Amino acid sequence: MHDLAIVGAGPAGMAAALAVAEAGFSVVVVDEQARAGGQIFRRPPEAWGERHGTYRPYTWARDLIERFEDHPGIKTHFRSTVFGVLRDRDRSEHAVFDVAVSTPVGGQRITSRRLLLATGAYDMPVAFPGWTLPGVMTAGAVQSLLKSQKVLAGKRIVLVGSHPIQLILAGQLLDAGAEIVEIALARDMPGLVEMVRSLPAIPGHVSIFSEGLRALAKIARHRVPISRRTVVSEAVSKDNMLDVRLSQVDRDWKKTGINHTVEADVLVLGYGFTPSTELARQVGCDLIWNSVGGGWTVSHDTGFQSSAPDVFVAGEPTGVAGAERAWAEGHMAGLAIAASLGATIPPVALAQARRRLTGSARFAGVMQAMFAPRRAALAELSRQEETVICRCETIRNGKIEKTLQNNPFIQSASAVKLECRSGMGPCQGRYCEATVAARVAEVRKASIEASGYFNAHLPVKPVPLQDYRDIGEE
Amino acid sequence: MSKAQRLETKRGRELKFTFEGETVTAFEGETLATALLAAGVAAFSLTRTGEPRLPFCNMGTCFDCAVCVDGRFLVRACLTDVREGMQVNRQEGK
Repeated sequence: MHDLAIVGAGPAGMAAALAVAEAGFSVVVVDEQARAGGQIFRRPPEAWGERHGTYRPYTWARDLIERFEDHPGIKTHFRSTVFGVLRDRDRSEHAVFDVAVSTPVGGQRITSRRLLLATGAYDMPVAFPGWTLPGVMTAGAVQSLLKSQKVLAGKRIVLVGSHPIQLILAGQLLDAGAEIVEIALARDMPGLVEMVRSLPAIPGHVSIFSEGLRALAKIARHRVPISRRTVVSEAVSKDNMLDVRLSQVDRDWKKTGINHTVEADVLVLGYGFTPSTELARQVGCDLIWNSVGGGWTVSHDTGFQSSAPDVFVAGEPTGVAGAERAWAEGHMAGLAIAASLGATIPPVALAQARRRLTGSARFAGVMQAMFAPRRAALAELSRQEETVICRCETIRNGKIEKTLQNNPFIQSASAVKLECRSGMGPCQGRYCEATVAARVAEVRKASIEASGYFNAHLPVKPVPLQDYRDIGEE
Repeated sequence: MSKAQRLETKRGRELKFTFEGETVTAFEGETLATALLAAGVAAFSLTRTGEPRLPFCNMGTCFDCAVCVDGRFLVRACLTDVREGMQVNRQEGK
């Protein structure tokens, strides 16, 4: 029995693990990637002989990773997927968790007294005609290939979206020798430059500011065309290339009808990020709709305990706010967990954790407000009958609209899922939920929030049947 | 077809595996997704209607890179490290 089980070895998971292990408790951490660091750091493989990757501009990352990896009280399972929390039974006033894990050598059951969900986020899905074509990838995909595998996704690249990651990524792609055909941003450019200029006003974020400037300078030097108030509206496969149609939009990202087409090998989507909350849903945590925070987020108290007793949450699932904020939240959650296990937390440590939280909240607030997605306008891009909404089950928009027409009682995204299988494939709705909810909202003249979210059941990710047998469940 | 290319860096030792019976060369430490993309594979999987799919998220959430490895289906190529002699096949009818 471990004192704490953590899902996710990113900044939040690592910081929490350290706080709890340093208080003398046993911690086990599960992560799908090969090494600690999360999506933000995605280090090169151990087999390539270097312990560290490039953590620029996060100056604290190296120390955090080293302390995490060297701590004898922290056990880790990498390349492993938590597919559910099997039991949550009461013993005295506290729960005991049975965490079901699919590892490279089969199923394993981990028991723990506390559970921390530091499950991070994934690239926000935006459905449009052609988004399922080979060569269309998320910003996270292209960046992780570059960072951890030293692979350039293609030669001619077009980046579209609204998130500043696209500028940082463009700089990294140019460094690696790619030709960037165009960067199409949904928002206004002046706002972007203002944002970069405003960063030094935020204490502790000078390094992120300089990284942004470095990328902008690189883009200018390579004379990469940047179009503003432009979104991707279609991709077509042609002669082993992608024809990417870009459309002008107004201030609210509604199409104004002027289009142009560029040719590329790879189309990179970067409209923001969506918190990974499927385990939180399966465990029974209350969720809160927070559009600028990425969508559905997990409700929590000041010690990052969720509404489910003894289940804590930290990092992007509380609202997408970046690595620095995730680190601060993980640290605070770790102190709260250690306290709940009986440790005495020195007031100095608590004060330091609070200071970090306040500092990172300011920065996160500026970023979120500036780069909030215009969800209704993005959902408009999938209005054609033939556009695939659910990638796994190939459910097209026409089927979803017909489902809503034929079933006037359907008011929720979950009911659409049950009726027409959108969200029932291997990804379990992660890539269609937002579009389905937006469609329900549009047709029923309600809010996206009111359309709700897909319920999550065990397994939250498909795993081999053998893994169930390994842990004694059939 | 994927036009991904490896950048110059120190990689692990060379190893071989098969995709749809064809030999693919890769390096220890690479993921199966990396090796197949760098080999120029045109489709990791095919949908029920025969549309090709390549990796979309490269982080384990989308399942578009799922392949069949040594007879086991729904294996995410982006989360699987290459091994000498592994037999990989396209997943069809996803």
